[in-house]
Amino acid sequence: MITIRQQLSSPLQLMALASAGLILLPLGYVTGLALSADPAVWSRLWATRIPELFFNTVTLAASVAVITLVLGVSTAWVVTRFEFPGRRFWEGSLVLPLAMPTYVLAYVYSYLLGFGGPIEHFWQFVAGPQARLFSPHGYLGATIVMALDTFPFVYLLTRSALLNLNVSFEEVSRASGVSRFWTLWRVTLPLMRPSIVAGLALVILYVVSDFGAVSLLRYQTLTYAVFQQMTGRSDNSAASILSLLLVGLALLFLVAERWFRHRSRFYQTTGRYRLPQRHQCGLMGTGFATGYLGLILGSAFVIPAYLLVNWSFSTEAQATLDSRFMGFVSNSALLAACAATGGVLIGLPLAYLASRRPTWLNLGCLQAAYAGYVLPGPAVALAVLVLSTKLMHVLYGSVLILIVAYVIHFLPAGLQSLEPALQQVTPNLEEVSRTLGLGVQETWRRVTLPLVRNGFIVAWVLMFLQTMKELPATLLLRPVGFDTLAIRVWLEASEEYYQLAAPPALLIVFLSLPALLLLVSKDWRAA
Amino acid sequence: MTKDSSLTPHPIEEIRAQGDLYRPASSVLELRHVTCAYGTDRPAVHAVSFAAREGEILCLLGPSGCGKTTILRAIAGLEPVQSGQIFLSGELVSSSDMLVATEYRHVGMVFQEYALFPHLRVQDNIAFGLRKLPRRQRKARVQEMLQLVGLEGFDRRYPHELSGGQQQRVALARALVQHPVVLLLDEPFSNLDPDMASRMRQELHDLLRRTKTTTILVTHDHDEAFAMADRIAVLNQGTVEQFDTPEVIYHLPATPFVADFVGQADFIPGTVSNGMVHTELGEFSNTLECEDGTAVVVMIRPDDIHLVPTKDASSRVISRQFHGSENLYAVSLPSGQVVHSSQGSTSVYEEGTAVELRVLASHSVLFRQSNVPS
Repeated sequence: MITIRQQLSSPLQLMALASAGLILLPLGYVTGLALSADPAVWSRLWATRIPELFFNTVTLAASVAVITLVLGVSTAWVVTRFEFPGRRFWEGSLVLPLAMPTYVLAYVYSYLLGFGGPIEHFWQFVAGPQARLFSPHGYLGATIVMALDTFPFVYLLTRSALLNLNVSFEEVSRASGVSRFWTLWRVTLPLMRPSIVAGLALVILYVVSDFGAVSLLRYQTLTYAVFQQMTGRSDNSAASILSLLLVGLALLFLVAERWFRHRSRFYQTTGRYRLPQRHQCGLMGTGFATGYLGLILGSAFVIPAYLLVNWSFSTEAQATLDSRFMGFVSNSALLAACAATGGVLIGLPLAYLASRRPTWLNLGCLQAAYAGYVLPGPAVALAVLVLSTKLMHVLYGSVLILIVAYVIHFLPAGLQSLEPALQQVTPNLEEVSRTLGLGVQETWRRVTLPLVRNGFIVAWVLMFLQTMKELPATLLLRPVGFDTLAIRVWLEASEEYYQLAAPPALLIVFLSLPALLLLVSKDWRAA
Repeated sequence: MTKDSSLTPHPIEEIRAQGDLYRPASSVLELRHVTCAYGTDRPAVHAVSFAAREGEILCLLGPSGCGKTTILRAIAGLEPVQSGQIFLSGELVSSSDMLVATEYRHVGMVFQEYALFPHLRVQDNIAFGLRKLPRRQRKARVQEMLQLVGLEGFDRRYPHELSGGQQQRVALARALVQHPVVLLLDEPFSNLDPDMASRMRQELHDLLRRTKTTTILVTHDHDEAFAMADRIAVLNQGTVEQFDTPEVIYHLPATPFVADFVGQADFIPGTVSNGMVHTELGEFSNTLECEDGTAVVVMIRPDDIHLVPTKDASSRVISRQFHGSENLYAVSLPSGQVVHSSQGSTSVYEEGTAVELRVLASHSVLFRQSNVPS
């Protein structure tokens, strides 16, 4: 019998426990700080900020959810159920908007929709010289930007649900005399509901924790307020209260997503699987589909990318491409490489123990590592910051504290590819190696490691690229004068220097493409 | 990493002296009162004892969840034993306080889903455990094994490029190339389609005979057990119900469970009087030697009942199942008791035909009434 004492004796176990502790400690500390805050701070916040912030956050999340639902499901439907020239191109390229960090898209749109921007010019040309458009700064702008940026989540999950759907269900429905439309309504959509909801939950989680777009478009959400409390007012206890509320909100959506994902298992049917019949489009249909998909992809990716390229080749932008710029690149690369390596090293024992010895202790450690998932960037920064000022003052203002924050923040993303990689290696393979005369260590070296290597590489790349894009934690924790690419984009864009922000933004978009490729190929492997 | 890694591995040499203390009769493998009860996810095993002789094919037969795979894993050292001992080549390898690590046991194992290393070619899979041999010898051994299992020319394929039957042969070659003391096969044919399974069964039987490999085979299929095994241990709920040759298991089952599990059986109630058992189907000798008046049941196999259509007979055919080489009839006796009879492929009787039953009872199997499954 394996006792608790034996478990603790293994060094792997100690590492896992330490990692879980590293992640839970700041979180617990912030919670403690919030709960022990002066009641006066609570009531002041309650009277002034909280209702407005809650309302803003929830309305933004809800309206983005509705728009992404429409965009995501309709695009997925078109590319899976219709056949027209260029279908495969659209199928692949509809995920491209995910390569745009929200702050990049936000800054492009604050130019496009802004005062004196091209769309306003066009509108005045149509409706007369006095006509005004809504300002991109605020609710509408934030909604458009977030919806265009996140609809691929819904698209991806709906698409794979449609491809996995057992066509027999629809055929049975048609055979029982139900029309095409009612089959869609009564059979197909209910079967896809879990996937759609899972996609929406991802969108909502993303919106709630987003900092880049709302800060550039000056829309007050909880995440933005945490940042402001920390920078403007240096009020860490108010910030911790807001963080706690934010984590609660995010947790709510995460639990909902988990619940639906769990339920979707019952919906998945085994048995023979056939590709759905694609409806061949005529000339009209092709034009319609191409126009629709082109409009969405154009506004979410092509036009912004075109502007970024154009601005990057302007003379102002070219002038910034000096050794200082190379410094930003190397800062970004250094931070991202450290964070990704740290994440893999910390994630490995957690994922291995949870898959091979699923005791409550090991599963608990793994779940703790997923806590970073519900922590928006500013909240992570706050957690690491307050802890380091209290306990390890040396760390304060160093690069190390930033790396700790990244690891906490992005470990879940890495674990999501580490865990399946380990689970795919059945214990039988390790056992058969033992019957062939190999010891524990040699089995690990010759069987387990070669089989999980690809999962490791994917995890590392994903964490590297996520860290490259990270904005709020970097803003809050970086050593003075230590700028990264993401920071440059945000700083220049805040001052509306569109041309100057373009080169680092373009570089980030370009570097995000491989991560996207991994994401999509993983989705296809699951399909 | 398996559970036993937390215990210190004992190389076989180190425990040789210890093994001498309990040296069993000369058998390759012996289990003495082995009990395993770890975790709730694996079936428990209670006081299981059996021994396998050199070159013997021994089959563990039982329904799913009876603990047969647990025993296999305990022999391989992948599962610790709670009490009792396991001896391999006369040396103690498992007991409540010691566990020789799997890699020192020299057992070959073929898993149900074969567990071929997906990142290695066929030749590297087979040579996986041969790393101590020089390169040339290793190559020669791999070729020898490929020839043995009939897969020449497949050495550079990857596992996913092979069919189910080919994968199984590679798994077998990988286990046999080590010259294992005992070969452990866990439901080896369950992932193959029926035609393939029966062909592989024949091939494997010939191969094991040729290589004189002592084999423990786990299965839930009695046909498979009968076709392969020299002796069969029938397991039920973690205990051995009977350990004997296939013929004895089929014709003289020790318990009603065994009788029922290894083939179709009918249980006819009867009473003992004047040293004979009287039943609806006639008289049988009282092999249990119980007192007059005892309630017993007689077990009868379908192939022991012959049907003769007779106009004024009181039994009726109620259904017929055509099995190709035979017809299996269900016949209702006047009391309502239903018995089965297997008849030749060409003897076709309509439902409702009145038939007389002739019991060919060269050996009758009796159980006390209380032991019979309902």
